[in-house]
Amino acid sequence: MDLPVESPITGLGALTDVSGRLAGRPLEEWNAAYGKVENYFHALRIRNKALLGQLVLRVLERAMKRAPSEPGHSATQIAAEEMDRTVTEWFAAVLQEPPTNADQMLSTRGRLAMLLADMPGKWQDQFLRPPPWPDEFVQSMRDAYLRAGPDFQLSKMAPRPLDLGPITTLTNLGRIPYLKMSLAWTLFVLLLVMVFVLTH
Amino acid sequence: MAGATPQSAPVSGQPPPLTVVPLPRIHRGWRVFIFYSCALLLTGLVSMLFADLLWRTGWSASRTLLLVLFAALFLLIAVGCMHGVFGFILRVIGNPRRITQADCRAQSIDGTSTAIVFPIYNEDIVRAYEGLRATYESLQRTGQLEHFDFFILSDSTDPDKWVEEERRWYELVGELDALGRVYYRRRTDNEGRKSGNVRDFLSAWGRRYRYFLVCDADSVMRGETLVSLVQLMEAHPTVGLVQTVPALVNARSLFGRIQQFSNRLYAPLFIAGLNYWALDLGNYWGHNALIRTEPFMQFCDLPQLPGKKPFGGYILSHDFVEAALLTRENWEVWFAYDLEGSYEEVPQEMIENAQRERRWCQGNLQHSLVLFAKGLRGVNRLHLLLGISGYLAGPLWLAFLLMFNWIHWYQKYTGLSNITVHAFTPFLNLNGTTHALLVFAICMGILFLPKVLALIDLAFDWERRRAFGGLARATVGVAVETVFSTLHAPLLMLWHTRFVAMNLFGVSVGWSRQKRDTDSTTWWYAVRRHWGHTLIGLVWGLFMWRLNRYLFWWFTPVFTGMVLSIPLSVWTSRRTLGARVRKLGLLLTPEETKPPLELVSLRSQMKIHEITDDTTPRQPHAGLADAVLDPYVNAIHVSLLREKRFNPVYAEQLAKLGVGHVGVQVLGEKLLVEGPALLTAPERLLLMTDAHAMVWLHQQTWLRAGESLAPWWRAAIQEYSRRD
Repeated sequence: MDLPVESPITGLGALTDVSGRLAGRPLEEWNAAYGKVENYFHALRIRNKALLGQLVLRVLERAMKRAPSEPGHSATQIAAEEMDRTVTEWFAAVLQEPPTNADQMLSTRGRLAMLLADMPGKWQDQFLRPPPWPDEFVQSMRDAYLRAGPDFQLSKMAPRPLDLGPITTLTNLGRIPYLKMSLAWTLFVLLLVMVFVLTH
Repeated sequence: MAGATPQSAPVSGQPPPLTVVPLPRIHRGWRVFIFYSCALLLTGLVSMLFADLLWRTGWSASRTLLLVLFAALFLLIAVGCMHGVFGFILRVIGNPRRITQADCRAQSIDGTSTAIVFPIYNEDIVRAYEGLRATYESLQRTGQLEHFDFFILSDSTDPDKWVEEERRWYELVGELDALGRVYYRRRTDNEGRKSGNVRDFLSAWGRRYRYFLVCDADSVMRGETLVSLVQLMEAHPTVGLVQTVPALVNARSLFGRIQQFSNRLYAPLFIAGLNYWALDLGNYWGHNALIRTEPFMQFCDLPQLPGKKPFGGYILSHDFVEAALLTRENWEVWFAYDLEGSYEEVPQEMIENAQRERRWCQGNLQHSLVLFAKGLRGVNRLHLLLGISGYLAGPLWLAFLLMFNWIHWYQKYTGLSNITVHAFTPFLNLNGTTHALLVFAICMGILFLPKVLALIDLAFDWERRRAFGGLARATVGVAVETVFSTLHAPLLMLWHTRFVAMNLFGVSVGWSRQKRDTDSTTWWYAVRRHWGHTLIGLVWGLFMWRLNRYLFWWFTPVFTGMVLSIPLSVWTSRRTLGARVRKLGLLLTPEETKPPLELVSLRSQMKIHEITDDTTPRQPHAGLADAVLDPYVNAIHVSLLREKRFNPVYAEQLAKLGVGHVGVQVLGEKLLVEGPALLTAPERLLLMTDAHAMVWLHQQTWLRAGESLAPWWRAAIQEYSRRD
């Protein structure tokens, strides 16, 4: 885990250019990057503004360190990647699961664990903090698991044959060619007969 | 009832076939004979009287047809009346032949496991979940919650509903602290509709549970009732299914309150009468019934019917057939008609009610294919036949009225004189008019007798009488209900005729969401739905006026219902009118005068939602936006999808859909760059069904620079950043 414990403001101060640029990028670019990271943390229900600002700056500092070596990428892009990396690394540390590039499910599991452990309500201050964490928090994060149902106990229901009796014969009649036409003619004739009978 | 024990199977593993030794059923044959003989005797005598009336003006082929139609229709109302009469007598003298007769309160339910399943399909999620909450909390109060699990079995196809179901499920389990007790599962494949949904549940988890209880999305069950049902099952090992009689509750419109009132007042008589002849060969109504899992799984998987839709294919009204298949294997099916604490809701408007009728009509007509299936019990054939007759009565009644008109028209326009001869039964000493009036009075008497008996039954039961607001108010309620049903009946006749005709012409009903509590019917909507009824009423009325003014007045109840169908539909759908009638103390039901705790809890929760929920209409594809953008909703959604991998059947279905295929990634890219509107609904559903795609989409929307996302996504992200 490589999470700085010093004040993020101090760290940022070192990256300020004399020209009014930060880490070689215009201030507007970092403003947009700030907005991007802040939006995501806001979506994670980090509602404490002081904490939110501190966390965003921590991510931005990591992004600013990378920025000079990646001129082809925008500050927002770099900041978003750093945000993802920071959060994933923190999940890996808390859940004791090494992050792998192949499996994006660690992030999913981490977010779910945060929800089930009620991180937004009870443990907001622990988010992205380096260890040690309170035992209760760690335990609830690691135990968190959501299930749609109990263990499957698979079986196969198979319809038993139902002998429909004379109906089977009737439904098979439908396969006789020109049956509908013949039926329509028969009905027409019956109608004529009925009209005749009723009117005489 | 007791005496034979099934060769029970273990709860887990593949069990051997279950067999039940058939019980001696000595009394039922006599009961069926006596019950239907009474109806037939009455029909025979009144049909004779009617034939005699027809005889007076000369016999003809059309009169023969009229007589046949009369006899068929009269038999149906006589059977209905007999249910009321037999039910009334049984309520007066007491009925020892019922499943609830034995006191099972001491019966232990330790070691039992029961699943309470809520199959839902694009439903009003708030209402469905609050019903579950009320049931859950009620069960919790009994101290027996540990023996029950709850399952929300979703078949929803609307992505917004799907995501809302998942989100609200999580909130619900959080509030109830019921993680691991209340589960949610959505099917990727809606094969077999509701019965397929339940079958899928049974295939995945059925063997874990000794019993299961199917609820509708608007069902509520009292905890004590659930425990009593399990106790009944435990005490009677040969019983395969116990059907409760759900009380209609929570109606707010005038239409709903009329239905609710008549259900609560008349149903006890009718079901007691039904139980008289059905006994242990009762019926299943699709919900609010406890079912023994093992025999149901072994014997009740429904075959598809031969032929094309609407008659062929899946059986829509699966419940009757499932009961018949259970009893075919000697399992008993009972009505627990005196067990309180089982509730459901009713459509609030005439039009919504008719839409539900259309679905039921197709399902019941399908039963005509099953009617002659080999091995079914005669009593179950009667259940099927009564169901079919209920819908055929509409076209038969219309045919009767048309034939009646034809005879008069023919008589008038052929210039034949109407010479009245002596009746075949001269000893009655009736003239033509009195004779006709007598037949009419008997018909009305048979129709209204059960209502009168229900009032008499109420008069002798102090507690029930008070629950209905007193005898005087209940009597006024019956009068209101009678006037309304007189006006409503011709409309039902036209609707049923149309539904039956559509079925015969091969038009199948779709599977649309059931609207259970909507706003009132608007005038424009009522005009669009009822203009045909109004026109038929006007033309028919005019025709009768010109034909015979005396007859015209006799037909006015039929025309009035049709001509007034539009205002009737609008006014009876109004909540304000329903509330005003309630304020007057009319159409009261026991659940209104003394609401049970679970309904109070349901109503207060619904009120909280009404006040606190954001009612602003959400943007299109809001559910998709939630599932992709919201870190927690996305995590829940993906976790539930990933669970499916453990079930080979689900894994196969997912593979068949194309989940995990490279094409899904292409669709995902298209979704990000062009927005959801440019994807088809199945494409959006496919993306939402792919766990990896959903994780990838979540990551990409938050990682990518705004310029590389569709404006729709940029707006959605902005909305998230403003959300509290």
